[in-house]
Amino acid sequence: MEAFFQALTVLLTPSHLVYLVGGVTLGLCVGILPGLGGIVGMTILLPVIYGMDIQNAFALLIGMVAVIPTSDTFPSVMMGIPGSSASQATIMDGYPLAKKGEAARALGAAFTASLIGGIFGAFVLSLIIPIARPLVLAFGSPELFMLAVLGMSMVGVLSGNQPIKGIIGAGIGLMLGAMGDAPAIAEYRYTFGFDYLMDGISLVIVGLGLFAFPEIIDLLIKGRPIAEKAELGRGWFDGLKDTLRHKWIVLRCATIGVIIGFIPGLGGSVVDWIAYGHIIQTSKDRERFGKGDIRGVIAPESANNAKEGGGLIPTFLFGIPGSGSMAVFLGGLLILGIQPGPSMLTENVDLIYTAIWSLALANIFGAGLALMLAKPITKLTIVPFRYLAPFMILIITFAAYQASYSWGDLIALLLVGILGWFMKQFGWPRPAALIGFVLAGNLEQYLFISVQRYGFDWLTRPGVIIMAVIIAASLGASIVYQNKLKAAGRTAAKK
Amino acid sequence: MKQWMSIKNLFSLFLLAWFAYGVYEARGYGFLAKIFPMYVSLVLLVLAIVYIAIEIVQGIRKTGGGKGAATGSDLSVDWDMPLEEVYVAFMLNLGILIGVYIAIYLIGYPLAMTLFIFLFYRFMAGASWVASVVAGAAGLGFMALASHVLGMDWPEGLLKLPWPLG
Repeated sequence: MEAFFQALTVLLTPSHLVYLVGGVTLGLCVGILPGLGGIVGMTILLPVIYGMDIQNAFALLIGMVAVIPTSDTFPSVMMGIPGSSASQATIMDGYPLAKKGEAARALGAAFTASLIGGIFGAFVLSLIIPIARPLVLAFGSPELFMLAVLGMSMVGVLSGNQPIKGIIGAGIGLMLGAMGDAPAIAEYRYTFGFDYLMDGISLVIVGLGLFAFPEIIDLLIKGRPIAEKAELGRGWFDGLKDTLRHKWIVLRCATIGVIIGFIPGLGGSVVDWIAYGHIIQTSKDRERFGKGDIRGVIAPESANNAKEGGGLIPTFLFGIPGSGSMAVFLGGLLILGIQPGPSMLTENVDLIYTAIWSLALANIFGAGLALMLAKPITKLTIVPFRYLAPFMILIITFAAYQASYSWGDLIALLLVGILGWFMKQFGWPRPAALIGFVLAGNLEQYLFISVQRYGFDWLTRPGVIIMAVIIAASLGASIVYQNKLKAAGRTAAKK
Repeated sequence: MKQWMSIKNLFSLFLLAWFAYGVYEARGYGFLAKIFPMYVSLVLLVLAIVYIAIEIVQGIRKTGGGKGAATGSDLSVDWDMPLEEVYVAFMLNLGILIGVYIAIYLIGYPLAMTLFIFLFYRFMAGASWVASVVAGAAGLGFMALASHVLGMDWPEGLLKLPWPLG
């Protein structure tokens, strides 16, 4: 409890607030540009936070991660293009509303729903911490290893169109992560004789290469303006009232968001569809869904902000990111010298509470700024991409070079970028690869600590066996049910 | 067998080769350095073989069904142009980037990037001369600001220029 309020005082210091607003503003910009979601935004921040004060860096990262599900609503509603994967379902009813001249109503409802969902997520996170404490502290290296494997297998199976591609996708990340010096011993692996690779490839390079590079190239190839027109229409206040009237939908979908955010692998790309499917199934009058029903905007938007609170739980407590942007967040924590995992609860509990407070506050700032700046932001969406492209290339090459100040950074960015482009074209899930990359070091460490401390007996620990059963069951179940689930989601969406 | 030469399948083969190399290379490492990459690449190698086998079987089934080879049908990106044109456009954009890299190597990052933004605006995006100059200057301003305030650095070129150009 003491840490809870101590974190509040930290939160209200001017520098923390400035960085939080900074992160929120950046997150707004990143969310608006189609294709560049939270992963790219967070990755660009990584070089900036090197050597920064922990609390301030934290504010910057959380500010950004909290607000992207809010700002990515702009492209979804205005142009029918998802600003990031978490707002695909918003298009179903948001875009028809915009076509009817009610974009402002859709955005107003979406921002209010985002705000409430985001605060709900932070609230649940704060409740979970004391409850989960004894359970989390019972986890040793063998259990953490199995949990990381579980997280990765879920990510792999759920994020692709074919489970086997998803698992190989996560493996690609592990292979990239295994490059460079081995954690246990002074030996260098897969360096191909290049000195540059002795330290391994930096997260900044992998994040930008896998995500920013392919999007920029694809948008350049398509070469069309981001939006055709930008008219907000009327109805801000109606949207707000819509959300408040449907408060039970907001709370139900926020709960769905938290739970899905908590489960590693489900994360971003499905949370909005599940919330959308849920609202259609539980509504009696379904005729207007897909034609501009405001409930179809409220449901996914309240869920996708709430999922960030849920997603922080496994990231902090077990060091296992549930989504691509959480993977980069985890990388950011490591840069700051914080080792996520059970020790967070004994050593850095104040940081967790700072994160909770920051998350709630960032959602308030984000929704407020999005409402106030809606007009200029909407204008930004009609800027043709070719005017933005050279600046994006500038930003990603500049950020990549900060990884180790060497030419190797730029060349690695290009090569990982080409890999990412092909993965994108051929449907190999890139978020799985990113999570694999971030987890590679921890996985290896947990594995050899387990082997060293317990020999092969670690395999017989009850926690390990339980987890192995869960992994096998989830793999089997998802292979069987995945297609059914997807088909059900699509038909629900079409209705 | 013609569909096997598609870029999609070449990429799968590239992954297979990568994982095979991973196993091959890991054999020579010491025990503690070996266990992780060895097992990871072994498992991946097996999975990649299984994946390619599935693809072959599905390919044969599709051709056997008389529908012709559906290469690239499960692409995650929807293109409204033929795939060949997409690859050409990809190579073109890649070529531009490599050109920028060569320019960075020769004249240093700030000048090369400023010129790139200017030329891109003027000739690729079709902006006016004034807008192109403003965009180039804005890029340079951003670099100068980031290096000054955030202490970031950039690659120097063979040609040495005074700050903020080199």
